[in-house]
Amino acid sequence: MAIIEVAGLVKHYGDHTVLNGVSFTVDQGEIFGILGPNGAGKTTTVECIEGLRVPDAGSVRVCDIDPRRDDDELRQLLGAQLQTSALPDKLTVREALELYSSFYRDPADWRELIEVLRLTDKADAQFRRLSGGQQQRLSIALALLGAPRVAVLDELTTGLDPQARRDTWDLIERIRDRGVTILMVTHFMAEAERLCDRLAVIDSGRVVALDTPAGLVARVDGEQRIRFRPSAPLDPAALTVAPEVTTAMSAGEQLVVTGVGNLLLAVTTVLSQHHVVAEDLRVEQTSLDDAFVALTGRSIES
Amino acid sequence: MSTAVLQRVSLGRVLRAEIADELRGIVREPTALFFSILMPVGFFALFVSIFGDLTDGTMPAGTRMVATFGTFGVLAATMLNPGIGIAQDREIGWLRAKRVSAVPVLITLLCKVVAALCYAIAMLVAMAVTAGLTGSLEATAGQLLRLAVVLLLGAAPFALLGIAIGLQAGSNATAAILNAVLMPSAVVSGLWMPLEILPDFFGHIAQFLPTYHLSQLAIAQLDGGPVLGHALVMLGSTAALAAAAALSYRHARP
Repeated sequence: MAIIEVAGLVKHYGDHTVLNGVSFTVDQGEIFGILGPNGAGKTTTVECIEGLRVPDAGSVRVCDIDPRRDDDELRQLLGAQLQTSALPDKLTVREALELYSSFYRDPADWRELIEVLRLTDKADAQFRRLSGGQQQRLSIALALLGAPRVAVLDELTTGLDPQARRDTWDLIERIRDRGVTILMVTHFMAEAERLCDRLAVIDSGRVVALDTPAGLVARVDGEQRIRFRPSAPLDPAALTVAPEVTTAMSAGEQLVVTGVGNLLLAVTTVLSQHHVVAEDLRVEQTSLDDAFVALTGRSIES
Repeated sequence: MSTAVLQRVSLGRVLRAEIADELRGIVREPTALFFSILMPVGFFALFVSIFGDLTDGTMPAGTRMVATFGTFGVLAATMLNPGIGIAQDREIGWLRAKRVSAVPVLITLLCKVVAALCYAIAMLVAMAVTAGLTGSLEATAGQLLRLAVVLLLGAAPFALLGIAIGLQAGSNATAAILNAVLMPSAVVSGLWMPLEILPDFFGHIAQFLPTYHLSQLAIAQLDGGPVLGHALVMLGSTAALAAAAALSYRHARP
């Protein structure tokens, strides 16, 4: 059942079209990712969902509520963590949580929430004294304090070190396990691949693909590539007898073999027939990165 | 419990929490506290100790100064604190975070003004006590209470101006703009020195300033002077600045 429905969103800033017919639905209980390069329209899309921006055309419904019509009710059901927002420097974690608790009709227990978020020992620390990861966890706590049905997380892990990022991923999965539907914006492929049940790839204001991470990878050429150093000289042509092998060629001391299906088994079978061992063997498969490049024609970092 | 009751409970809780947060925020910024509270009281203490015993035949200068310096102090607190606070909250994204929470932003803005009024009351009390200690206070408790009510109500258009600027400009620019409005207005309106000892054209300009009309309304609570004309100017100013604040709110970056 769809909990967020976005249909035909169009948004212009002056002459610049930021969103050009963005449509997707998010099902209850899933982690849905919006993936795209900087300037693709990701944040504008979620701002329309959060009711912060009014689209020039199209419609948004969250929990069957139109953000433009029933803003007050939406705020009770949707928690949002913004891409760029900070708390006043001297506000403590406890004060921020108590303040936010007062905003909601039926708030979650903030003491329990900060225990889950491992902030209990920082309850009396001022915002400016928190590390980047702790500040992010606090922003998640604030987004969840109203016990929302939907949480929108915008570039949550940007600026975090790898360990803090992995910790945050674990946390997001635990939040989903509590029954919260999560809509997250990211430009980290690994994050999208690890967390998201489904992804909308947005580029230049359009949804260019909408699928599971595995589905997106499968859409592009499923070719695999194997590199290895043969223990004895071997004519690359010997490998092409296997039907899984598409090409085989020498690259210095290495052989590079491309193909489909169970390529690794096919290659190692041929090698054993020639009494050759594959040393320094590496298997390269199509990644979400490759899928993104194939779908958008450019790298996400461009 | 019905939704309506839940929402009423929620609103009272929000107001208490927001006002407490704002009061805490002001105390934690000693610089702002100095300019908006201590400086007006300090000036008042200095002037009243020098000129407080002089009289114009109706009341001692020290008593009149409770009205004029009180006007300045209330305006400084209610215009600068909410205005600069809003600009700072916008700069760090805190106001934006509030917009996606369940608190209506208008409540947040209102609470900033209410918190500033609390400090304005403390300042008026400090001025009255100072005037009393110097022996230049000749006013009944009722007169002083009316004066305080008039100044706090009359602060509305100035608070709206602070909000309008704070929603558009950065915190430094907001402080500069509001001080550039407040300080000359205070001088020209006779809030620091009586208009009688200033060049005549100050008095002519003062007629166009809400700061002057508010101070005259405050003085009228002490000497029983006319209020209608001044009150009408204040109502007109409030309406105009409410429209400006609403326009600024609509065009503020979400």
